[in-house]
Amino acid sequence: MRKNNCGVVRQELDELMMDETCSSSAAAHLSECGECREFQQQQTRLRQIVGSLGTVAAPADFDFRLRARLANDSSSAAYLSLMRRGFALATVLVVFATGAFLVRNVMDRPTTEVVSTNNQPAAIPEPTKQVEPAKASQDNTSGQQLVASNPEKRPKPSNNERPLSTASKTPRRLVAEDFSSKGAQVIRGQEAVSSFEVIPLDASLQSFKVSLDDGRGNARTISVPTISFGSERMLQTGNQFAPKRVW
Amino acid sequence: MNTLTTIEELGFAPALQQDVLEDRTSDHALLEATRSGDQDAFAELVSRYRNQITSYIYRMTNDYDGAVDLAQETFVRVYRAADRYQRSYAFSTYIYRIATNLAISELRKRKRRKLVSLTGFFQPSDGAEAREFNPPDLRPLQDSELVDTERRSAVQRAIGTLPEKYRAPLILRDVDGRSYDEIARILETSEGTVKSRISRARGFLREKMRAYL
Repeated sequence: MRKNNCGVVRQELDELMMDETCSSSAAAHLSECGECREFQQQQTRLRQIVGSLGTVAAPADFDFRLRARLANDSSSAAYLSLMRRGFALATVLVVFATGAFLVRNVMDRPTTEVVSTNNQPAAIPEPTKQVEPAKASQDNTSGQQLVASNPEKRPKPSNNERPLSTASKTPRRLVAEDFSSKGAQVIRGQEAVSSFEVIPLDASLQSFKVSLDDGRGNARTISVPTISFGSERMLQTGNQFAPKRVW
Repeated sequence: MNTLTTIEELGFAPALQQDVLEDRTSDHALLEATRSGDQDAFAELVSRYRNQITSYIYRMTNDYDGAVDLAQETFVRVYRAADRYQRSYAFSTYIYRIATNLAISELRKRKRRKLVSLTGFFQPSDGAEAREFNPPDLRPLQDSELVDTERRSAVQRAIGTLPEKYRAPLILRDVDGRSYDEIARILETSEGTVKSRISRARGFLREKMRAYL
């Protein structure tokens, strides 16, 4: 009971300001309890010593140094702000100049690179088609170079290849012709091309090069890589993990 | 029947004027004026708080030059953040909070730098409670002023050994004489925590200063 009283009284003494007096109950306890009385004396002495530290004065040039520091900070802040604005302006200029350069390049691109084929429509090779032999023979009248029936070059179906549709029962024979041993066909533009034209190119199984001449002696060669389709690759490789002779 | 012709006849004018005058000299009004570009108002604020803030930071860091530098940094931050200042607390609470944060930040920087203090030689290396090496001088005392100076020096060193969380509330309470409520707002903690920390700080100090009590 007394210990509890000591704790309460000491807490009260702790929370008092230096010039405040403790409550009557605490005073009564202090008159009885020597330990708490000693605690109070030590506490009062300690707080007097700590309180005697007092206030340390700032140096006389405190204001002057503070003004100088504020001025320095504001000037550096203004400099940084100016730098940021300059950087933003330079960035905008660079972006604008780059855009203008690109637009100008696009606008100035020579239109003669694309050769008009209006005059010689028959000389343009049509893209490779997978046609039936009967139909291909009809199309040969337009001078096409492809579409030569060659049953030996027909790719062999793999074991897991699905059977062709038997609805028509018509043998679909794929034909192709190797252009690597033949010379490239030359297409010459006879007059300036007023507008862009689309030239259909043969989608060959082998790569080939197209040489373009703009009529002023400027030649340009375009290399066209092999065009293949996923279905062809599937046909060639097949599913290696599928059981053989099982469809 | 008399009719009133001017508002002054109501007798409200003097009271209003006095309020305005008082308000103009308050910390809030000075900061408002600073915000609108009045340099004199800021100079008045600085003259009011420069000694308090310098002294408080000095008690926290035990380094006068560093304390002056941090006090100036405190005012620079007040000046920069004048636009964002809110009048929810007293200005003194606001500026003491900035000063406390700067002082604690400086103390942590020192810890990271691992500055070697002379009193550190007498601290145990196993993380136990630090003991101040202040053997009492048992010779007869010659001059009471010298004794007081030596005692103040000892208590300043003892405060310097306290952890930050005990040091700040003890200085604010026992050196600056601030209320628990204000200390709680400055340190952004509860009043009960402040009381507990001050009590523990005094307990530490009592042990360290036993020779002088």
